[in-house]
Amino acid sequence: MGDVFQHILDALPLVFSLGTIIAMIGGTIIGIAVGALPGLSATMGIAVLIPLTFTMEPVVALGMVAGIYNGAMYGGSIPAILLRIPGTPAGIATVFDGYPMAQSGHAKLALRISLVSSSIGSAVSAIALLSLAPPLSLIALKFSAANYFWLAIFGLMTIAVLLSENPVKGLLSACFGLFVGMIGIDMMTGMERFAFNELELLSGVNIIVLLTGLYAIPPAIDLALSPKKPDAEVKAINEEEMAFRWSSLIPVWIRSSIIGVVTGIIPALGGNVAALFAWNEQRRSDADKDKYGKGAPEGVAAPECANNADTAATLIPALTLGIPGSSVAAVILGALLVHGLIPGPQLFRDKAEITYGFMLAMLVTSGLMLILGSVGARAFVNVLKMPTQLLAPMIFVMATIGVFAIHNSMFEVWLMLGFGVLGYAMEKMDIPTAPAVLAVILGPIAEENLRRALLISGEGVFSLFQDVISLLLVALILATTALPLAMKMWRRRRSRIEALASRD
Amino acid sequence: MIKLAIASALVAGSITAAHAEYPERPINMIVAYSAGGGTDIAARTLAPFIEKYLGEDASIVVLNRPGAGGEIGFTELAQSKPDGYTIGFINTPNILTIPIQRKARYSLESFTPIANVVDDPGAFSVLPSSGIKTFDDLIAYAKENPGKLTYGSTGIGSDDHLSALEFERITGVQLKHVPFPGNADVRTATLGGHIMMASMNISETIADVHEGALHALGQMSNERWDGATEVPTFKEEGYDVIMGSMRGIAAPAGVPEDVVAKLEEALKAAVADPEFQTKAKEQHLALSYMNAAAYKAELESLDATFRELWETTPWVQE
Repeated sequence: MGDVFQHILDALPLVFSLGTIIAMIGGTIIGIAVGALPGLSATMGIAVLIPLTFTMEPVVALGMVAGIYNGAMYGGSIPAILLRIPGTPAGIATVFDGYPMAQSGHAKLALRISLVSSSIGSAVSAIALLSLAPPLSLIALKFSAANYFWLAIFGLMTIAVLLSENPVKGLLSACFGLFVGMIGIDMMTGMERFAFNELELLSGVNIIVLLTGLYAIPPAIDLALSPKKPDAEVKAINEEEMAFRWSSLIPVWIRSSIIGVVTGIIPALGGNVAALFAWNEQRRSDADKDKYGKGAPEGVAAPECANNADTAATLIPALTLGIPGSSVAAVILGALLVHGLIPGPQLFRDKAEITYGFMLAMLVTSGLMLILGSVGARAFVNVLKMPTQLLAPMIFVMATIGVFAIHNSMFEVWLMLGFGVLGYAMEKMDIPTAPAVLAVILGPIAEENLRRALLISGEGVFSLFQDVISLLLVALILATTALPLAMKMWRRRRSRIEALASRD
Repeated sequence: MIKLAIASALVAGSITAAHAEYPERPINMIVAYSAGGGTDIAARTLAPFIEKYLGEDASIVVLNRPGAGGEIGFTELAQSKPDGYTIGFINTPNILTIPIQRKARYSLESFTPIANVVDDPGAFSVLPSSGIKTFDDLIAYAKENPGKLTYGSTGIGSDDHLSALEFERITGVQLKHVPFPGNADVRTATLGGHIMMASMNISETIADVHEGALHALGQMSNERWDGATEVPTFKEEGYDVIMGSMRGIAAPAGVPEDVVAKLEEALKAAVADPEFQTKAKEQHLALSYMNAAAYKAELESLDATFRELWETTPWVQE
C-alpha cells in the first residue's frame, strides 16, 4: 500500500503540469458538449480524438481522455432534463425525474443536482479505481492461460447475451468480431490468416480503425441524412432559487455510488444499466414512492451519480487484466495501447507514473467537471442549439485525419469507412455493434490462451477445468447464458398457463 | 555582355546548389514499430544527436510505419529513393528472418547498412524458486522431464525464439515453446509460475534480476553487457549462442558513398556523445556502435546463421 501512495505522489507533478491541466479542461468541456449532443456518445468522442493525441505526452493525452469520459456522462443529462432526449444511453433514467422537474420550473436546480451528483459519482469511482486496481493487478500474476481463456469467454458471452434484446443478433455481431480478430499473422504458428497477401493486413485490423469506423461514422451518416432541427425550444432558465436541502441527497449518493462502482466492474453492464438500477433502487427504498417520475430531486441524483460512478470502475478489469467490459473501456484500452501502455501488473510498476497519472486524472476531472459545469452552465445549454448540419462533416474530417495519422496509411482510412458503412447497416438492422468490438479484442485473447493452456499442460481438455478460478468462471458463464433463457422459457410457460386458465 | 554575366552567374549558382552540403532538407527516419515502443523511443532519443553532428541545419523527422513485424516499414525503406533523405532503423532478427520465412518485397541486399546502435543480447531467466541455477541444472531437468520445460518468447521467429532453437540445436535438449504477444506477457507468465523460463532480452529482464524476482542463467553476447556484469555469457558457460536484438540505421541500397560516410560519422559522434550515453542508460539501452563495414559483415553472418537454422528447424511450419 505504501508503494501505491509513493506512486501517487510521483504522478502528481505530471498531472498538475500545465499541459495536462489544459488537456483535462479541454477534455472535460469536449466531453460535456459531446454528451449533451444527442447521437454522440463518450465512446465516439474518445475514438475520434485518440489518433489526434499521438504526438502528446501520454499523461496529457490520457488526461484529455479522462475528461471526455467523465464529462460525457454528465453532459448526457442536459438534454435529458431540458428536452426529454437523453444525450447518451446512460442518460435515459435521468429523463424520468429530470424532465418533470424542468417542466415544473426547476430546470436550474435539476441541472445542478445532476452536476453535483455526477461529480460525486465520478470521484468515488476514481477512488475505487485507485485503490482497487493496483492490488487486483497482482492477482493477474496468478491467472493462468486457462483462466484467461475462461475470462475472455465469460466477457464474450455476457456481452453477446446481455447487451442486446435479441441474443441471436448479439451473437451474430460477436461472431463477426471474432472473424475480424483472426485476421493477420497467427501468434502461435506464424501462419498468415485471412490476410489475402495484403501487407497491410498482416498485423491484423487496428482496433482504433475499427472503433472509429463503427462508432463515429454511423452517427455522422445519420446526422447528414436527417439533421435534427432544434425543434424543442430551449427555454431561458432564470427561475427563482428554490430552497433545497442538499444534505438530504447524501444517502442517495452513497447508495448510487456503490451501485455504479459494482456494475462498472462487472463486464457488459454499462452506465445505462447502473443508472436504471440506481433509480429503481432509490424508488424502492423510499417510503414515498409516488413522487418518483414526477420530478423528485432524488430521482435525478440517483441515476446521475450511478452512471458516473460506473466510469472509472469499468476500467478496473481493463487495466489489470486487459479485459474490457464495455465498448468505452475498449476505446480507452485502445488509447492506452497507442501510448505504449500494455495492461497487466507491469502497468502499475514499469509505467506507474503514467498509469497513476491517468487514474488521478479521472479523479481531478470529476472536480473540474463541477467547476466547469457551474461556470459554463449557460454555454452548455446553448450546445443544444448548435445546428447539427455542421456536425456530420466535422466528424468525417476528424475521423479520416485521425485514422490516417495512426500509420500514415490510406488503406486504413478506407477500411475505417468500410466499417462505418457496415456499422450503419448493423444499427439499422438492430444488430448491436458493441459485441463485435469486444470480440475483436477478446477473441484473440480467448484463442491464444486456449492454445497456450493446452500447449503448456500437454494433457488435453481436462487441463482447462483444473483450478478453482477456472471452475468459478465456467459456472458464471453457464449462469449468464442459461439464466436469461430459462427466465424466458419460464415466462412463456407461465403466460401459456395463464392463457389456459383465463379460457376456463 | 550583361546577359552573359547573368547566365554565367546562374550557371555558377546552379552548380553550387548541386554541390550544396548534404543534408539540405529534412531527412525522414522510418521506424518500423509503433510510437512509444522500444525502437521508437531509441530513435527519438538518438535523432537530435544525429542532427547535432550532421550540421547546424540538419533535421530528422521520425516516421512510424509499424505492422507485419516490421515488414511494412522495412519495405518502405527498401523502396524509397536512395538519396540519403530516407533512412531507417532496421532490427534483427526480423529484418533477416522475414525474407527467409515468407515472400517479402525486400532482401538484405536492398539496404546499405550505415551503423549499428543497439545490441541487446538475449537471456534465459527462471524463478529463483525453480531450483535451476545453472545451464547444467537446466539441461538435466529437460532430460529428466521431457516436454515439461516450457519457455516463453515474444512470438514465432523472434530473437527470443530463435536463440532457444539454437540452444536446443547445440545441446540436443527439447524445450517447449510458448509464444506470447510481448515481453510483458512473458514476464507475467514466468513470475506467476505458469511457464518455467523466460527467453527475454537482458535489458528487459535485468530489473527483475536485480530485485531478486528472477534468476538469469546467462546472456547471449560476446562480452557481458555493462548493465548486467554479474550475469555470465552463454559462451563463458560453454554454449556458443550469440543472439540478440540489434537495432541499427540503414539506407536504401545505392546511396552515394559520401552520404553514407557523412551519416556514419555523425552517428558515431552521436552515440559517443556523453549526454546521449546518459539518456541511453536511463532507458536500459544496450549500446553497441558498429561502423558500416562491421555492421554489414555482422548482418551477413547472422543471415547465414538463420538460413542454416531454417534448413534444420524451420520455425514457421507451412
